[in-house]
Amino acid sequence: MAAVKPVASSARQGETADVLIIGAGPSGSVAAKHLAAAGFSVVTLEQGHWPDANNFPGRKAEFELLAQKQWHPNPNVRDLPRDYPIETSDSDINPLMFAAVGGSTTLYAGHWTPFLPSDFRVRTLDGIADDWPFTYEDLLPYLEEIEHEVGVSGLPGNPAYPPQNAFPTPPLPIGRAGRKAAEGLDKLGWHWWPGTNAIPSIAHNGLNPCVRRGTCMTGCPEGAKSTANITHWPHALKNGARLVTGARVREIEIDERGLATGAVYIDENGRERRQKARIVILCANGIGTPRLLLLSRSSRFPDGLANSSGLVGKRLMMHPFSAVLGVFNDPLDGWQGPFGQLIDSFEFYETDEKRGFVRGAKWGAMPGGGPLGATSFVGSKVFADENARVEDAWGANLHKLVDRRFNHMLIYGIIGEDLPEESNRVVLDNQLTDTDGIPAPKIIYKVSNNSDQMLRFHVARCLEALEASGAIETQVVHQMRDTGWHLLGTCLMGDDPKKSVVDRWGRTHDVPNMYIFDGSAFPTSGGLNPTATIMSVALRQTKHLINERRNAEAA
Amino acid sequence: MTLGEGDREIFAGIADVIVPAWERMPAASAVGVHTHLLDAVLRARPDLADGVREAIEHCRNREANEAINSLYRENRSAFDAFTLVVTGGYYMAENVRALIGYPGQESPEYDPYATAQYLTDGMLERVTRRGAIYRSTPR
Repeated sequence: MAAVKPVASSARQGETADVLIIGAGPSGSVAAKHLAAAGFSVVTLEQGHWPDANNFPGRKAEFELLAQKQWHPNPNVRDLPRDYPIETSDSDINPLMFAAVGGSTTLYAGHWTPFLPSDFRVRTLDGIADDWPFTYEDLLPYLEEIEHEVGVSGLPGNPAYPPQNAFPTPPLPIGRAGRKAAEGLDKLGWHWWPGTNAIPSIAHNGLNPCVRRGTCMTGCPEGAKSTANITHWPHALKNGARLVTGARVREIEIDERGLATGAVYIDENGRERRQKARIVILCANGIGTPRLLLLSRSSRFPDGLANSSGLVGKRLMMHPFSAVLGVFNDPLDGWQGPFGQLIDSFEFYETDEKRGFVRGAKWGAMPGGGPLGATSFVGSKVFADENARVEDAWGANLHKLVDRRFNHMLIYGIIGEDLPEESNRVVLDNQLTDTDGIPAPKIIYKVSNNSDQMLRFHVARCLEALEASGAIETQVVHQMRDTGWHLLGTCLMGDDPKKSVVDRWGRTHDVPNMYIFDGSAFPTSGGLNPTATIMSVALRQTKHLINERRNAEAA
Repeated sequence: MTLGEGDREIFAGIADVIVPAWERMPAASAVGVHTHLLDAVLRARPDLADGVREAIEHCRNREANEAINSLYRENRSAFDAFTLVVTGGYYMAENVRALIGYPGQESPEYDPYATAQYLTDGMLERVTRRGAIYRSTPR
């Protein structure tokens, strides 16, 4: 089979590219940038468009209203033409995502929390789930390189992590709300650290410094939240990568030898097109990637592409999430950013089986937002009593609620480790389709007893922390539904082709010139925000592909 | 969405049940939630127009307090849309924002090189002194 011999040129339309990448989110963008820099001809197909910062609602008076619909993280709520619908009636959690250059990071909060050493050795340490085929130490050099590309802000020395290189930009202010949270944790003698965020405090790699507008989760109108359309694509394009937006991939095509030859996609005018490539890399997230593999059935691969293990789509992990609100007498400037994590705590991250569950969770303290934030969190009205009488929630009581809460709130978000279970999975729905008629994914997902126990334990500790901070009122939303930001695990990475979908370098066991570089390949989920690790793993796999290009199999 | 004067009067009446005058705060209709703010909200959120229309129809020729309570019981989606339009518009009003101390999503100045209080008052040092809390990679 032919090896890839990259030449420093871009693939024109109709030509066969060295590499086709599907998805221009954080993992696909890392791959595109570095492959193009190494001389590969790269074509990337992205179903969304370039985000226009002028459209982000953060500077508009209607910001809070727009955050609950057009800029909600749930594609089923937004219902925009570029979103594909997701059937969720059999899921306890709604998956969240955004189609754009930069992917779902367009709407993420930028919490930068790399996986910890124990996250790569869950089986060895805790006797459950799986170990990763590499370690924290193996990944660290790639993490440190990615942190410079991303422009992370933070303070070095966090005792929750092993020592590492300093972050490229200083930490953002933790504000009055972060200070209030830290005071409680300090009283209890519990871990806290100033928030590390993918939000630079000084200009860096095309990013402007954060101005603390506090609208991170509806797109940053300042160009100050790290997204790959700013940090990676200018470099990739300069090196000749070609990016096709509005391109919805329907199928990966295979030749008679079982090698991937490219993809069929629908352009934004509804025309079917074909992009040929010697190597195909999937970076369409933990739902989009297995969806595409399941769509790419053939006589050779009747159960979907790269699915001889039967694991494509299975082991979906989405991080069950609870939020705990604290109200304080002191004003906390609750509308000011970053929105972002002000501080975080890893006090209860590692396993202690006496707690009745295994693994743990990370807490991030976030500000309360604007006046509508008195009853809502990240676009969803979760801090309201659905069964309250009209006079309880409205009238004079609305004024009293806003007086008491607005500018006086902080919120702990609890991200608990989600253990892999084959019953939690992505399948194709037999009725629902996107606007191009392509079958939509269906999610079958139940929150496990371990996750439920974990969240209840952490909620109780958060309440203690808020009480220690001086909270005069608290409220809990247990296992919030619109919280599937982290889509992981549906194309397991491992060494055994019978028990995994891709190998330790992201290459699919069944199709030797097809790779998966996104969070689908994660064996476990950690109990924290995964973008730092998604991008670091993508860089590791990309560099291996570059280094091994003369040995890589290609169509 | 086109609303006549009569429709807007009905809207104002039930909006004032949801957001009445209270202590220093004005009633919803006093800041224009049924006029320019209603138009601004529906320009931003046209998806809420059907709910507003249903709420107005439900409350036409009825006493406002009784009407909004029955809307809550009988058509929750219209009630939710209506209350979001009212509160969304109300908290966009500049005088309301001034009264509650909300300047909108602003960009406060800060010095990224300033030494944070937690570094000088010993608070973060106490965290550091307690030592590492991660589990190392097993060898």
